[in-house]
Amino acid sequence: MALQQRILILFGAVLAFAIVCRRIQKDKILVEDSIYWVVLSLLLVVVAAFPDIAIWMAGLLGFISPINFVYLLIIALLLIKVFSNSAEISMLKSKVNDLAQEIALREELGTKDTHHHGDSSATDTHH
Amino acid sequence: MHVLAIIPAFNEEECLSSTVAELTSQCPDIDYLVVNDGSKDDTESIIRGEGLHGVNLPVNTGLTSAFRTGMKYAYRHGYDAAIQFDADGQHMPTFIRTMARAMDENGADIVIASRFLNGERFTGVRGLGSHLITHLVKMTTGVTITDPTSGMRMYGRSMIKMFATGFDVAPEPDTVAWAIRKGNKVVEVPAEMRERQGGESYLKLSNVVKYMSRTCLSILLFQWLR
Repeated sequence: MALQQRILILFGAVLAFAIVCRRIQKDKILVEDSIYWVVLSLLLVVVAAFPDIAIWMAGLLGFISPINFVYLLIIALLLIKVFSNSAEISMLKSKVNDLAQEIALREELGTKDTHHHGDSSATDTHH
Repeated sequence: MHVLAIIPAFNEEECLSSTVAELTSQCPDIDYLVVNDGSKDDTESIIRGEGLHGVNLPVNTGLTSAFRTGMKYAYRHGYDAAIQFDADGQHMPTFIRTMARAMDENGADIVIASRFLNGERFTGVRGLGSHLITHLVKMTTGVTITDPTSGMRMYGRSMIKMFATGFDVAPEPDTVAWAIRKGNKVVEVPAEMRERQGGESYLKLSNVVKYMSRTCLSILLFQWLR
């Protein structure tokens, strides 16, 4: 892995880490949701600082260039993140719908009997 | 039999009033519940002004969620059956009695009002989609549903519970196929439907691809996992 690539990755990782810290500081992200990004940026720092790890892994898996292995690793991690975001949005949608439904069911408009224009002679004919 | 007609309404100011009037005059022995799905038009003021029986979703949540709101109501009030009834005047109340009788006599869990039991079919793209779903349901369950996309379906107690408490249960053909595979009985009765009398369809052209892919994928793949 070329030195320029290592510097670039290191720079990107430090920048990412700084952005995450700033967001936490400004109360713009929950700590639990920032864990992924903190770990990811630390991982990139390790890859840039100790290129031998990436070179060894790349060789083991048959990559000609170690940087390709790094790319694949990042893409895989991002795909996992995107999918888990999608699943989380699904759950949020479902919860929002549930909440809206409960709000709706709290206030019943009109009356149940089918003679809806206030006809009190309507009888309960079911059962 | 204690039946609730669930009428999801999204921007249905044109037809809602006459649909409910027709329903209550022809079927005075059943209850109904209008579910206003966060409409932007005067649907809510019509419900309030005319004293219709209804509930009001604070935001637009989609047909499935609106229908499930009604199913939660039916479940909590102990109804024996709930029917999905369109606000736009497509469905004719006269068939509700037929459907309730079919449910009772056959011990069915779902009764579908079918436009095609007499062998007729839609032509064109609508027919193609309907045919495809019929084939998929037949393939996965062995049962022929002639009109899987009919919006007029009556559900019994076990299905009401399913809709009220389950996750991601849509009043769509995939749920019908799922129900059959889980041992529920589904029957169809012959019925007619009108063209919509006003308002805008949930199934806009732009949503058809989404609808078909969701339905087909769900029948073919996801329900084996559930």
